[in-house]
Amino acid sequence: MADFSEQSYRQPFPFLDIDPTMESLTQFAELNPQSFILDNSAFNFQTFFPLSINDSLFSNQASQGETMSGFIHNSNQSSVSAQPIFSAKTEVEEISNKRKALDILESSSGNSSSSSPQVSETGIKRRNNSGRGKRAKSNEKEMEKPKELVHVRARRGQATDSHSLAERVRRGKINERLRCLQDIVPGCYKTMGMALMLDEIINYVQSLQNQVEFLSMKLTAASTYYDFNSESDAMERMQRRKAEEAKELERLMREGYVGIGGVACFHSSSTYGPL
Amino acid sequence: MMNTPQQVKNPSSSLKSRFITRFLGALTKINAEDPISSPSPTRIFQRYRRIKVASNKSMAYSVRSRRIWSRAMLSRFRSRRSAFSGRRSSVKTTNCTTINVTINENKTAKGGLDMQTDELRELVPGGEAMDVCNLLDETAHYIKCLTTQVQVMRKIVDFCHLSK
Repeated sequence: MADFSEQSYRQPFPFLDIDPTMESLTQFAELNPQSFILDNSAFNFQTFFPLSINDSLFSNQASQGETMSGFIHNSNQSSVSAQPIFSAKTEVEEISNKRKALDILESSSGNSSSSSPQVSETGIKRRNNSGRGKRAKSNEKEMEKPKELVHVRARRGQATDSHSLAERVRRGKINERLRCLQDIVPGCYKTMGMALMLDEIINYVQSLQNQVEFLSMKLTAASTYYDFNSESDAMERMQRRKAEEAKELERLMREGYVGIGGVACFHSSSTYGPL
Repeated sequence: MMNTPQQVKNPSSSLKSRFITRFLGALTKINAEDPISSPSPTRIFQRYRRIKVASNKSMAYSVRSRRIWSRAMLSRFRSRRSAFSGRRSSVKTTNCTTINVTINENKTAKGGLDMQTDELRELVPGGEAMDVCNLLDETAHYIKCLTTQVQVMRKIVDFCHLSK
């Protein structure tokens, strides 16, 4: 048992240090001709990655080497206790281990915060969906991702130079903002394109500005008419106006709109006194 | 009695409360300065403009300089104050048109949407100098402030009508 754990400890470690391109994987496969060792190293992968998923291991390139060795120790210690994980993933183990390891690395580097069952699922999906030839290119893309601060997943067949990447990020930001606006502006549906949504937003802003104008006109009318309605004495009028407005403030406060601090400074001249 | 149970944040610093206090203060000032004796249309119109400006100003001051649009609005008010009636409008439009022209020349992608983003830029104060991403952000905040403004003003108007 000690021999086994020692061997399996050594095997995955050089692999993880190298960039997991196809060439290094073939080297790794050649190093371990015996399928038994391969199976066990894959087993270590499967216990290894669930442990490391919750840390954002793959986003910190600097400490990658040391932390990986630390985790390998952990996985070795807990390899016995991680049997249920292994049994649940026996089907995964039957697939060629090169691809499996590659898939786990790819998906975990992309989703460093996803939970362990998702890792194997995405791995299987990726394997079923993409061919091996294309994967090398998108694989390099994945490996570049952790170095940048923004995590954007490159889909298969998309251009991978920095300009289009920045363009994609920018478009993503704009779409996100549009989605927020969609929630705020009534009458925006998800199915509408950007042009229609912008039209709706423009209409809404215009209508709001018109409403402000209209309401200020109404206020003017109300205050002018109000002035006429009251008695001729200007001072009394002003006092009553101030009292009315203070009452209005209190009403608004009761509805929970105005804070106590804000009201206190306004109430300096009122007859209510300190609240 | 210190914290009202309905409010989650610090009650005295919500946008709505700041706007209300400022706007009502401005309204009382307008009412005080302008004792209505004659209902001449010019006087009424002047009053309307003052109330409108007071409303927008109170909102801009409540937001302070935290947003591009509020900063633009505040600088507009300040330039207005220094330059009186004749020069006011010309200064504003020349600024808008020159900046608009340069931005149109520099635009690359999103061909068909340029018209709409330009329209949006005209609506949102200070929108001429923003890129699309910031413009959408500012629009969202501007809409939020406008709705607050409308809500408060409506309440005040209702109150004025009710109290008669």
